[in-house]
Amino acid sequence: MTNTEFSLDAIDIITPDHYAKNGYPHAEWAYLRKHKPVLRVERPNVQPFWAITKHADIIQISRQPRLWLNGPRLSVFVLEPGEEVLPPEAFPLRHLLNMDPPQHGEYRSIVSRQFTPRAVRALAPQIGEITRKVLDDVADRNQCDFVTDISSKVPVAVIAEMLGVPRKDWDMLFRWTNEIIGGGDPEFQHAGDPRETFEQARLGLFQYFTDMVTQRQKVPTNDITSIVANGKVNGEPLPTMELLSYYLLLVVAGNETTRNATTGALLALIQNPEQFQRLKRDPGLLKTAVEEIVRWTSPVIQFARTAARDTEVRGQKIRAGDSVCLFYPSANRDEEVFTEPFKFDIGRNPNPHLAFGIGEHFCLGSHLAKLELEVIYRQLAERMEDVELTGPVQRLRSSFVGGIKHMPIRYKMKPARA
Amino acid sequence: MKIEVDLKLCEGNGRCMEAAPEVFELRDDDKTHLLMERPPASLYDKLRLAARNCPRQAITLIED
Repeated sequence: MTNTEFSLDAIDIITPDHYAKNGYPHAEWAYLRKHKPVLRVERPNVQPFWAITKHADIIQISRQPRLWLNGPRLSVFVLEPGEEVLPPEAFPLRHLLNMDPPQHGEYRSIVSRQFTPRAVRALAPQIGEITRKVLDDVADRNQCDFVTDISSKVPVAVIAEMLGVPRKDWDMLFRWTNEIIGGGDPEFQHAGDPRETFEQARLGLFQYFTDMVTQRQKVPTNDITSIVANGKVNGEPLPTMELLSYYLLLVVAGNETTRNATTGALLALIQNPEQFQRLKRDPGLLKTAVEEIVRWTSPVIQFARTAARDTEVRGQKIRAGDSVCLFYPSANRDEEVFTEPFKFDIGRNPNPHLAFGIGEHFCLGSHLAKLELEVIYRQLAERMEDVELTGPVQRLRSSFVGGIKHMPIRYKMKPARA
Repeated sequence: MKIEVDLKLCEGNGRCMEAAPEVFELRDDDKTHLLMERPPASLYDKLRLAARNCPRQAITLIED
């Protein structure tokens, strides 16, 4: 890591344009970990927050969900020029990420048994088939866009299957999630501004699941749409906003993050070809490789927490109502936790990364995400050779989820089985 | 040392069983079950690892 100096008043770890242009601000985070691990950020276009960059502090905060709340602020969002702060009532979503104990656990337990390691393992054959078909489709040529042709296709198919969404609707599902997460990126705006884009996608998705819920309440099945549609909290069916928000969360969370980890992984393997050779020689490294892929790519950049009462972090006093912003990719390069954190090492073990968070809100989909990555990379290690970039990667304009929109590659792919 | 598992948080991730199979057993109800409430001191390091590794931080170790 270089020894770049930054001015604490001007250091940029939050503007979407900075991420689009330069990728993750690792130099900035490294500087903050060393010099100012709890930094008050006040800028004209964002509500103030304390930037948290150390692994230990993210754990400490995440372990206290009754002190550090999700409800008041999900994430730090930068206002676009001319945009105004919206009041809480204007954000209509009510899902697991907006909830705090005890309500959070009551809602989470409706689906949690569908995401255990045991439940997820049962999906391995289906995920294998989906992946095989996706790779077969690009095996007869030697160039493609890894994102649009490969990495985006597997996660949407898997979550769609789990939800019972029919094949003919997968493209629509995929477009909605792009518009919900990627509304700040001009490529995914079609309604003219990020907020409008988000709203239209949300309404489209809500209407779609409203129809599905009606069907599933009449005739229950064992897909997740049915489990949520027929679920109970305190003996009552879910209120409409909580019900529909649940589907939005599952669709979006299952889509973007895994796609981005898959893409970032190939980029890392292209940049570290000896690691790709190592994986090809020894598929027994797949499990540790997947953990290292998740640590390295850290697709979720940040979530926020708000103090329920006056408290402190690392000696810094924090007032009730103030928010902290937890930068997971920074924790995942913490020099006090990881040996050679800037080395991509598929054999790294142990690997106590925080890319899935920790505690009450620990990622519900972590086992699913890891299984998808394992299946994809088992097949890529077997079938893909001589892979190179044929152009620059294009990054998503977002400081919330780290995304690569396009990654043009050249490769050799072993043909489909006879 | 006494072990407490918050069964509302426990979700069957199984990291505890990986770290200390002598003490934690993940069963088909997707919850961990304690095979002993007061393990011998020789297992304390494994217990601390289990508590640290639990993704939901469902394990509390009480030194008493």
